[in-house]
Amino acid sequence: MKRRPIRIPNLGGAQAIILHRPHPTVQALTRQLTAIGLAVTQAWPELGPEALAADYIFFDADMSHDGMFPWEAGQPPIPMVALIGSEAPGRIEWSLKAGSHAQLLKPVGDNGAYSALLIARDAFDAQKALSAEIADLRRRLDDRQTLVRAVTLLAARGKSDADAYAQLRQMAMAWRISMEDAAARIVASHGGGDDRHQRG
Amino acid sequence: MTRRIELGLLYSRSGSYSLISEACRSGALAAIAKVNADPSLDVAFVPVERDPGGNADAYAPLCEEILRETGARHVLGCVTSWSRKEVIPTLEKHGGTLWYAVPYEGFEASDHVVYTHACPNQHLLPLLDWAMPAHGRRAYLVGSNYIWGWEMNRLAREQVTAAGGEVLGDRYLPIGSRDVGRMIEELRFARPDFILNSLIGPSSYEFMAAYRALGLEDVHFLPDNCPVLSCNLTECELPALGQAAEGLVAAGPYFRGVPGLGNFGSSHEAAAFSAVLELARLLSGREGAEALPLAQLLAGDPGRGIVDPETHHTVLPVIIARVQGDAFQPIKRLEAVAGDPYLARSKHVPVPMLRVVS
Repeated sequence: MKRRPIRIPNLGGAQAIILHRPHPTVQALTRQLTAIGLAVTQAWPELGPEALAADYIFFDADMSHDGMFPWEAGQPPIPMVALIGSEAPGRIEWSLKAGSHAQLLKPVGDNGAYSALLIARDAFDAQKALSAEIADLRRRLDDRQTLVRAVTLLAARGKSDADAYAQLRQMAMAWRISMEDAAARIVASHGGGDDRHQRG
Repeated sequence: MTRRIELGLLYSRSGSYSLISEACRSGALAAIAKVNADPSLDVAFVPVERDPGGNADAYAPLCEEILRETGARHVLGCVTSWSRKEVIPTLEKHGGTLWYAVPYEGFEASDHVVYTHACPNQHLLPLLDWAMPAHGRRAYLVGSNYIWGWEMNRLAREQVTAAGGEVLGDRYLPIGSRDVGRMIEELRFARPDFILNSLIGPSSYEFMAAYRALGLEDVHFLPDNCPVLSCNLTECELPALGQAAEGLVAAGPYFRGVPGLGNFGSSHEAAAFSAVLELARLLSGREGAEALPLAQLLAGDPGRGIVDPETHHTVLPVIIARVQGDAFQPIKRLEAVAGDPYLARSKHVPVPMLRVVS
């Protein structure tokens, strides 16, 4: 798969929240982010619901735990950057589980924030795109059974399998829907329950 | 009582970009003389000089020497972004400040650097805004093989493409290389509407000379038809360019003879001069301020300075000028604009690309 080009996010006026106790690292990071053009707030010991409106979260990988985030563990809806002090395997494992997309080593000094922002945004976008693609492929995989049933129903009128399949394709094109959706319609119209309605 | 304050100068007096170093250095020395003769200021500067000789690896050790062995906390210096990035860890370690007086590619806002020359929203973007309507949107990009050449050309590609234009090629040369033959051959076939030249030193001089020769061979490549654009060439390099500079279009905060901007040899000289003057203003009347880190020095400024406390960049005029008869003649002057190193504050925020899931 060819790597898609990096999207350089529009960072002017973007909101960043730093989940960290008051510390020189917060000051240094705030300075960097402000220089880049972001609006920065600090939060501790937990992120409020306002975090859902933020564009980036920087979180302390040393002292944080799942309960601090207003979303399901490991399912951040925005890019997350881990602030790592202790490079203990347990903490790295936890920050990956928490869903971090990039990291900055503490103590944070004069630089590093800009690349963390770009890398986190890119990883987040890539993850989202892959999840959507996987969900779509999974749905199509699940619909194979419906497809087979529709072809069988059409073939029952005396067509060969190949002709029945071609007919299904033409119906899908005429209805301007996917083959899978056309198959579901045919199965439903023949009184067979659409498998897909049973799915969660 | 006048306080005598040591001030570091870290300019290469030899090597491939020494003309620029000399321009910065003479601007700094002129400003030091002015400060030292000004009875309204209670500071006098004593220059402490080190010469890295154009070797990027010599900057950090020599900067360290200034900060350890002398009382200087402020250093004027560096020409290439490469050398600037080399000295930043040293500045951080010793609480020093670099005053950087050369145009650069942006995407930096160190807590230990003041940027008194232009960044892309003050040079490249307005230059392309002028060039594309005037000449067309088919660009060819050349640059030196380091961050300046690479990032300028990346940004140019982004802007040209966003405007519906096309980049017909980009080629790079190692710093100091004169091997421009391949660029010229490609140009002969690509026939762009303009060329962005982000080469430095001898590579640039050689390229300009070869391009002039190409123009004499084929009228498409005469400056009126297909000009060379630059964000780093100033008056200080015109002697090295000679006839080959004719028709060159450059963007910068200062060109000699533009009214109301002082009387300097070049924008490099002007940027170094204003850096020293600003430092003197920040230190004058504040006993002990010379030992402060930059952030505190700016935070405690009772007056209004030229340095943005958030980005450490400055507000600068934007002038686009063309070389005609050995001198730059302004063709467009835009309002002064604040340096926006991450292009996050100005109207030039690139349009987000449509994401293709492939």
